[in-house]
Amino acid sequence: MNSFWTVVGFTVRNKLKGKAFLITTIIIALIMSTGINLPYIFSQFGSGDKVTNIGYIESQQAELAPGTATGDQLKAFFEAQENPSLKLLPYEDKGSAAENEMQLKQAITDKDIKGYLDFGKMTESGFPEMTYKSEKLMEFEMTSSLQGALQMIRQGTILQDAGLTEEQMALLNAPIDIDTVQISATEGAGNIGEGKSPEEQAVNMGLIYFIIILLFMAVMISGQMIASEITAEKSSRVMEILITSVSPLKQMFGKIFGMFVVVVLQIAIYVVVIIANISMPHNNKALGDLNIDLSQIDSALLAYSVLFFLTGFFLFATLFAAVGSLVSRTEDLGQAVMPITILSLAGFYISIFSIGSPDSMLVKVSSFIPFFSPFVMMLRLGLADPPVWQVLTSIGILLVFIYAAVWVSAKIYRTGVLMYGKRPSWKELRKAMKAYKV
Amino acid sequence: MNPLKVEKVVKQYGDKTAVNGISFEVSEGEIYGLLGANGAGKTTTMRMVLGLIYPDDGQILYHGKAYSNDQLRNLGYLPEERGLYQKVRVSDQLIYLAQLRGMSKKDADASLKRWLERFEVPEYYNKKVEELSKGNQQKIQFIAGVIHSPKIVILDEAFSGLDPVNVELLKTTVKELRDSGTSILFSTHRMEHVEELCRNITILHRSNVVLKGNIKEIKKQFPKERVILSTENEVKGLDRIGGVTNVIRHEYGYELGIANEAVGGHILRLAMEQSAITRFEIKEPTLNEIFIKTVGGDSHE
Repeated sequence: MNSFWTVVGFTVRNKLKGKAFLITTIIIALIMSTGINLPYIFSQFGSGDKVTNIGYIESQQAELAPGTATGDQLKAFFEAQENPSLKLLPYEDKGSAAENEMQLKQAITDKDIKGYLDFGKMTESGFPEMTYKSEKLMEFEMTSSLQGALQMIRQGTILQDAGLTEEQMALLNAPIDIDTVQISATEGAGNIGEGKSPEEQAVNMGLIYFIIILLFMAVMISGQMIASEITAEKSSRVMEILITSVSPLKQMFGKIFGMFVVVVLQIAIYVVVIIANISMPHNNKALGDLNIDLSQIDSALLAYSVLFFLTGFFLFATLFAAVGSLVSRTEDLGQAVMPITILSLAGFYISIFSIGSPDSMLVKVSSFIPFFSPFVMMLRLGLADPPVWQVLTSIGILLVFIYAAVWVSAKIYRTGVLMYGKRPSWKELRKAMKAYKV
Repeated sequence: MNPLKVEKVVKQYGDKTAVNGISFEVSEGEIYGLLGANGAGKTTTMRMVLGLIYPDDGQILYHGKAYSNDQLRNLGYLPEERGLYQKVRVSDQLIYLAQLRGMSKKDADASLKRWLERFEVPEYYNKKVEELSKGNQQKIQFIAGVIHSPKIVILDEAFSGLDPVNVELLKTTVKELRDSGTSILFSTHRMEHVEELCRNITILHRSNVVLKGNIKEIKKQFPKERVILSTENEVKGLDRIGGVTNVIRHEYGYELGIANEAVGGHILRLAMEQSAITRFEIKEPTLNEIFIKTVGGDSHE
């Protein structure tokens, strides 16, 4: 047992000392912090959302009267809004088109306005030709909000022309009001009916997402690390010294457990980073606005998460170790671990894509299949309500399978580490196992 | 009771026999030479001694006992292909390897420092292996094999890739180990090292033992058939002496092949008649010649 811990200690120390570990941890922590703070950062930019001033000419000339009228209508429309994004500024008619243009361009230079509307002849749309002139390219947002405003204005005018009363007009507009109220209402509604409240569901869903992604990442990253370290030890022939010093089993599980410690440590760092970021005052408020309360996490769910995380991790890790021991050169490793990678990918995708339908037959069946169950049963636990016996059966199957995987992996490892040259076929491996008497 | 006893050991990989009935014993304080061309079965034999693979037949005894995990601590191994963690500090990995073999961290550290001092490279303690030259990696590798003071040390091609100064250093160290009572199983292609270090040898050829025993006795089995002659002036008529098989002229003089030792006298007499002699030697066969003779020049490399 003593040398087991020596292997664990060496594995952990080496990983932690390595620059790669430090750098990835820092980078991911930075990405996480940025991601969490992104809404706040955006809101900071958003609140600086200034009103854009647009100029137009209040022309005295008869043929340009519709233009002036439209400009006035737009001005009135935006002024009536609560938070207008645009403001129209009328400018006096200087008499000639050239002088008007000069005046407006001067206004742009003086930063009084961002651009201006140039009205032309009347068109069939009920509005005159309009050109928005500004120094910037691609003012789609601007033109679309102008378009929207004009639509509203036209609708109003036509409806008025149709002889509708004010009440009727209000009635026509009413459904839109009700819609907006409904959208904001869902989040504030509180407990509806029985079972998980919407907030709890949201929090659980978040947790499930988090755990599934975490498990997947842990499996992929540490699995690859375990496999490649074993292959590296083999190809650098350190293996020959190691294997004459400590039994292969202790060596393999020491490595797996060491890597597990590293992964848990890494996850712990991320969790601390996330919590630290979330509990910063500005983010706390944002979370509160979204009605997310971390205290609503179901403790049973958390316990199951840990259980499935552990079982899933060790199942995949032992297989990765076995495959790593078969390969002599790091270049061949990617191909060799492909089947395991695909298995873990399949489990991951089944659960991620089924998040909208946690009751489907696919989910139910795959929640009993060892390689998928850590991912898929988590999904069912979080979002559906599987009977306890099903959960226990799934865990039972998983444990039996882990035992088998450990047994097979240990044998493969014991044999594989001494086989150099090309990757052995199953037949060669069996023959070698017989020859080595393992 | 000898520390290492290999008895009629057979190993087969599928249909191919890798080692066919090898037997030898290594006594305390002895360096035993295991020779053979590549693929002759040396590494397989060493791996069986190390307990990495089990023999199909025969047995290997360590101080009279069969292999068990307890034996691991008594074994030291220097593999032919060097294996160290490239990116790990010398101190970290050697202490790790020593700990795996049951040393305490403190003892391992002290032992490592002593060995680094012995090899006159104490500054490598904190260096990473990849920063060291190949020859110095070799020294570290050697330390990795002996840091835990094993009773039986297996050295596979211990001196390959070293410059003459370091070969001397390592050779002296191996002799010191021998004198302190360590049993050493030694394989190399450099016959002069075997002649210098080993008392007994086994030559393997295509999985079979072709020659085995004490080096001196082996040499006696092979006739002395070389004469080295250096003279002041030219000597004529050497090739006409009966029993002289061939004459090769070198810068330093002549090298003659002779049918038997008695011919040496005739050569000496003829040479003395014609010139002053600076060197005359009837050479015993070198191990190199014996090796090539037994395994055949074709498979030697």
